[in-house]
Amino acid sequence: MTSSVAAVWGHRGVLRLLVQRDLTVKYQQSVLGYIWSLIEPLGMGLIYYFVFGVLYGERVGPAHASYPLFVLTGVFAWMWVSSSLNESTSALTGQARLITTMKVPREVFPIGRVIGRFAEYLAGVPILIIAAILFDGDFGWNMLALPLALMLQAILLTGISLLLSSLNVLLRDVERLMRLAQRALFYAAPIIYPLSRVQQSDVPEWVKTLYEINPLVGIFQLHHAAWIANEWPPNWLLITSAAGCLIVLLSGWWVFRRLEPAVLKEL
Amino acid sequence: MSSEPIIEARDLGIRFVRNRRRQLSLRDMFIHRGGSHPRAGDFWPLRNLSFDIMPGEAVGVIGRNGTGKSTLLRLVAGVLIPDEGAITTRGAVAPLLELSAGFSSGLTGRENVHLVGSLHGMSRGTLRAKFDEIVEFAGDQVRAAIDTPVRHYSSGMKVRLGFSVIAQLHHPILLVDEVMAVGDKDFREKCYATMERLLAEGRTLVLVSHNENDLTRFCTRGLYINAGKLEVDGTVREALDAYNGLVRA
Repeated sequence: MTSSVAAVWGHRGVLRLLVQRDLTVKYQQSVLGYIWSLIEPLGMGLIYYFVFGVLYGERVGPAHASYPLFVLTGVFAWMWVSSSLNESTSALTGQARLITTMKVPREVFPIGRVIGRFAEYLAGVPILIIAAILFDGDFGWNMLALPLALMLQAILLTGISLLLSSLNVLLRDVERLMRLAQRALFYAAPIIYPLSRVQQSDVPEWVKTLYEINPLVGIFQLHHAAWIANEWPPNWLLITSAAGCLIVLLSGWWVFRRLEPAVLKEL
Repeated sequence: MSSEPIIEARDLGIRFVRNRRRQLSLRDMFIHRGGSHPRAGDFWPLRNLSFDIMPGEAVGVIGRNGTGKSTLLRLVAGVLIPDEGAITTRGAVAPLLELSAGFSSGLTGRENVHLVGSLHGMSRGTLRAKFDEIVEFAGDQVRAAIDTPVRHYSSGMKVRLGFSVIAQLHHPILLVDEVMAVGDKDFREKCYATMERLLAEGRTLVLVSHNENDLTRFCTRGLYINAGKLEVDGTVREALDAYNGLVRA
């Protein structure tokens, strides 16, 4: 594994090119271009705000912060997760011609997808800042949560994308399964509702434990905490989340290495 | 000339699975760690291949369709991983496995030249310096269309541009799979001239072709592969004779 990490690092120029190409191709055929990466989460945020903020009112939102800001910080970070999941399944199958003719470490293809989607997240950060100003966000030490969240999320998504991209070559079902899995994951993390709702609910303890094992839980708490100080997650949650991310990365990378010979034959 | 072989194959073998379903068995994939259990549906496009290729050699790979020639080239290029044995290359490989390969149809010719060139290890500076030469070599038609997306190119145009990029690489090993068969006569002449220039520079060439003229023109050595086995490793003439003997019989 260390050797393949080194190989990927040695090809970071290639990585940069792939990301650039991805972004160019993705946006050159649409009129609004990269603004789409803002419209989508904004639209989603508006929908969730309408349903859970306006219709359900106090029953869903966090107690001490404005719900619109809470939803936006969650949804923008979620877009990075969901588009990475989507696009990493096709990272190898969709670039088969490149992969079967170029000798570069194959890991760069799924990793490139994750970085590309990260760039889209960064494009949305100004929106988050504006939202935080409008809705009384906290600008202080709590903002350190953001780099931490991004780091954990990058680790997690890299692991998942390595796993999904290689598996999808051999089992095309993965692509379909992901649509369902995405929906489940979206509600299985505190994105549009605060973590306290789960902790205060009547579900059995083991369900809560299972819920908290999901590394996304800690990551999204950090994303909220970056703008809403009192959402800062407890240390045990951070440690669980960090451990989960590392496990996913290691196993994703391991599966990728194991499947690589079969994947190359199949492409 | 160094005495170390630039390409070294030892007991090289790769297994494909005829019935794809079998490959999907996760149990097989994870539990039998590359074990060589004979399973129904397995077949070996190549097996027990050993050869050394010295720097500067020009080797022709000869054989009928489906005998693993292209698979061999992919193994040398490192875009397939062998199941048995090992292949070592001492130097970067410029593969011409699929001529237009690597071009993204949504990008313009110019963007693709930069992308593919840099993926093959050309620096930005070199690319900028060589860009005109690359486009020049690809011909007038391509030059006129260099800023339109590649999906509007004819296959001939893609081939021309693809070859032009690869021809600019300074990699010591050149792998060529049936390129002479494509492109019009004019372009083929250009390809011939380029190949000869590259050989004169001391590059190592591995060429897959069915064209006897091409093989005898460029190659000094021939590998005749039949049913996944290396049957003849000798001069091009010997390999071609073995091939022709089989075809006639």
